Amino acid sequence: MHLDIYGDTLTALVTAATLSSTGHQVTLRVPAGQVADDLDAGRMPYQEPGLEAMLDQQQQAGRLLAGSADEMPGDRVEAVFLALSPAALPFAESVIDQLALRREHSWLVVNQSNFPVGTTESLQQRLRDGADAGVDRAVIVMPEMLQEGAALQSFMRPSSILVGCDSDWAEVHIREILRPFNRLRDVMRLLRPREAEFTKLAINGMLATRLGFMNDMASLADALQVDIEQVRMGMGADPRIGEAYLYPGCGFGGLNFSRNVMSLADTLESSGVGSELLEQVLLINERQKEVLFRKLWQHYRTDLHGKTVTLWGAAFKPGTGRIDNAPALKLLDALWAQGVTVRVHDPKALPTLRAHYGERADLLLCDDPYEAARGADALMLVTEWKDYWSPDYPRLRSLMAQPLLLDGRNILDPDFVRSSGFVYYGIGRQ
Amino acid sequence: MRSRTGVPADTVWQQLTEHAASLQDIHLAQMFADQPDRFARLSRRAGPLLLDLSKQRLDGRTLDLLGKLADSRDLRGWINRLFAGEPINHTEQRAAMHWALRVPAPQPSPVQQQVQEQLDRMSRLVERIHARQWRGVTGEVITDVVNIGVGGSDLGPMMVCRALEDASDERAVRTHFVSSMDGSQVSGLLRRLRPHSTLFIISSKSFTTIDTLYNAGTARAWLQRTLGDDPAVTGCHFIGVSSATDKMDQWGIPRPNQLALWDWVGGRFSLWSAIGLPIALRLGMQGFRDLLAGAHQMDEHFRSAPWRDNVPVLMALTGVWNTNILGIHAHAVLPYDGRLKYLPAFLSQLEMESNGKSVTRDGEPVATGTCPVLWGEVGPNAQHAFYQLLHQGTEPVTCDFIAPARRYHEGRHDAAAAELLAQHELALANCFAQSRLLAFGEAALPPGDQLPMHMRYHGNQPSSTLLLDELGPFALGALLAAYEHKVFAQAVIWQINPFDQWGVEMGKRIATETLELIKRGTAGGDMDSSTNGLIDAVAGAVDRRRSFRG
Repeated sequence: MHLDIYGDTLTALVTAATLSSTGHQVTLRVPAGQVADDLDAGRMPYQEPGLEAMLDQQQQAGRLLAGSADEMPGDRVEAVFLALSPAALPFAESVIDQLALRREHSWLVVNQSNFPVGTTESLQQRLRDGADAGVDRAVIVMPEMLQEGAALQSFMRPSSILVGCDSDWAEVHIREILRPFNRLRDVMRLLRPREAEFTKLAINGMLATRLGFMNDMASLADALQVDIEQVRMGMGADPRIGEAYLYPGCGFGGLNFSRNVMSLADTLESSGVGSELLEQVLLINERQKEVLFRKLWQHYRTDLHGKTVTLWGAAFKPGTGRIDNAPALKLLDALWAQGVTVRVHDPKALPTLRAHYGERADLLLCDDPYEAARGADALMLVTEWKDYWSPDYPRLRSLMAQPLLLDGRNILDPDFVRSSGFVYYGIGRQ
Repeated sequence: MRSRTGVPADTVWQQLTEHAASLQDIHLAQMFADQPDRFARLSRRAGPLLLDLSKQRLDGRTLDLLGKLADSRDLRGWINRLFAGEPINHTEQRAAMHWALRVPAPQPSPVQQQVQEQLDRMSRLVERIHARQWRGVTGEVITDVVNIGVGGSDLGPMMVCRALEDASDERAVRTHFVSSMDGSQVSGLLRRLRPHSTLFIISSKSFTTIDTLYNAGTARAWLQRTLGDDPAVTGCHFIGVSSATDKMDQWGIPRPNQLALWDWVGGRFSLWSAIGLPIALRLGMQGFRDLLAGAHQMDEHFRSAPWRDNVPVLMALTGVWNTNILGIHAHAVLPYDGRLKYLPAFLSQLEMESNGKSVTRDGEPVATGTCPVLWGEVGPNAQHAFYQLLHQGTEPVTCDFIAPARRYHEGRHDAAAAELLAQHELALANCFAQSRLLAFGEAALPPGDQLPMHMRYHGNQPSSTLLLDELGPFALGALLAAYEHKVFAQAVIWQINPFDQWGVEMGKRIATETLELIKRGTAGGDMDSSTNGLIDAVAGAVDRRRSFRG
């Protein structure tokens, strides 16, 4: 089949690579932005094992083409995938509106984006408006369930495929498109579109709640002088709980956990429905993003004026240069409000930070992590990049004005850090 | 004893008395019948404010004579002295320069520079709190601000915050007000707040007000129980607003958390100063500056408009006419807008604390009555309470009806706009109907059968209506300044000093003496028999409770 994929997410790239590898003719249309720039410059925007090779292979085979996101699919295209970032809903709507204008054309649109619950149905309504009688049109939703680090495998050998679809015609087509990945046994679960979207929200919500709960436990652990690491391992050993998503830290960021994704679409929201628990989880997370600031504030007895603080890491997670909802943003605002100069190192996010804040005297972006620590009254480890797991403590000690280390990701050993001459604060660590 | 309606023997007063006699038998309904354009003749506009005097028992000649009275009392000269900053509060040797707080920047005088400097400081505090960057001692963001003050340091900010809640800044934090000496407000509030994220404003011009300092002490102890007694707790959780820097220092408030005001601002005139910090926190600085701008426009109007068009002066002279010539000694303030809930209490303080005096500037007993008893309530609610007395009681009462012409026309109310607009129209209809019934009595009713006596309305009760374009910061500033200047103009007519309040000092002093006796557990016969008896009864109640508990 001829398939067009709009998107700049990891899902877009994985979908393009895997579907073309099974013989589909795929056009990948990446909207302007960082990801498009990376691809144009021959850089891989996502560090995903095997992805780059597979994309190259398919391009060479002529089954995968790069197209412009400003252009519409050709007449032979039978399905359009939307694998966009949550913020790109207006773009998705404009694509749908342009497809809708072609009155005689049948369209299957597969929404893989993390939009609020209810979006797929409203997109379908838009797509069907004004279509000629007898023309089949549907928007279905296939929430992304990729495991980062094993994304290709999880797409091609899924333990389940969640599809939200209310049209028999669309079901026939999506089954055909995904047939190569659904052979051993039928793992496709069909739900109504909003049920599928809601499942994705519930998964994200559960993960966020686990993290929020652990952060809450870490605060208690601080107060009770209990080491949260021991507690975390004890909890994780219980099979009813499991080990995933139990790491306390200085807050999670990223678009999937943003307020608009964690909410229902406006149409539903006006009915007054909302999740109190998720509201609280997101609130607690916002508070948690300032936890390192609070520890610093108390350490220096409420006077931070004129101090210098180093941030290691600004991206919302390792492996990306993105800073959407990242804890570093809240820390920067909090520190600047107290008259602190901040020196930041991040392997990938410095250009994004520079673009976000522009030039300012109290922000220094450093390409070298040790250069960033020079003269600092505190070092805050904010993103757990591999680069930071084994610091050269004597070197840090000699560069910094005060040996104070705040570990927002609990990746260092408190005893070893202390024996290296530092004051150490973790998240619930002793 | 002085007759409250007795007037001095000078010519203008006599002319007014004679004129009143000539109007005495003319019912308000008749005045409207005789003069079809009465509203046009007897209503005035100043900026966002419309003053309708047509339902007062007066005519054009009354206003002329009242203008002569103002001239004979040298009102023009006193206004000039007020705005020249002369020490017209002579018993305290101070100027009364609340008007200077609302002169827009930039003005070169030293006073204006001080005012602007404090506004700038206020602006920085507000910005820091609104940006969620004011930190408690544990580094938490401040989410609740509690204003601790009493009298002018409480009523003014609380009244304005409530009145302008629709104009809230979207970044505003929650604001609370605590004033009562007995601790019931503060203890109820503290149960609902978290120490880590609560900031207190101690608002006291002298920083010696016992009510406020006790409440502040309770608040500090509450913080320290959770957060420890490090001095940084006070430093992070208290802002002080006072003219007594040294006393704020002693209390432990760091200099950057101090806002200043000056001797030349009276407490009940101080919401325009740093005492208005809770207002700025609610409205944002722009909203606060709009409030000042509205008041400033009224200042300029008061200084320059001729008596016949001068809204505050006409409010003052009408009040003098009603009190001194018609002999009406009660005045009700009736806002037809729930947001103005605290306005009657605010105006009670403004008028009664200012003009509840009986000694002239020369130290002589006053020749005329002064401030009437003033009270009020949100009009539609008062209709179900004391309006019975207004319509059919034996005590005549004058009324100020206050209402905004427009409401709910903005997008922010969109969801329920239609219903709320209907409610606003209903309130306006009630406002106009009540003043009409008070003025016209049965003449306002459709002609028909003779009513039985107990259902009759005599009417002829005078009232003014103040219609605001809408209730926003600018219009409210103008309204409040109009009342301030009304009070001043009346004080000039009555030849009293409106800016002192010696009548409230002595009670505080003898309370200190009484407190010792209560703590001692017995009056021991040192006081009058009533006080002795009451103190002993308290001691008896305490003893009985102890013995019940065994």
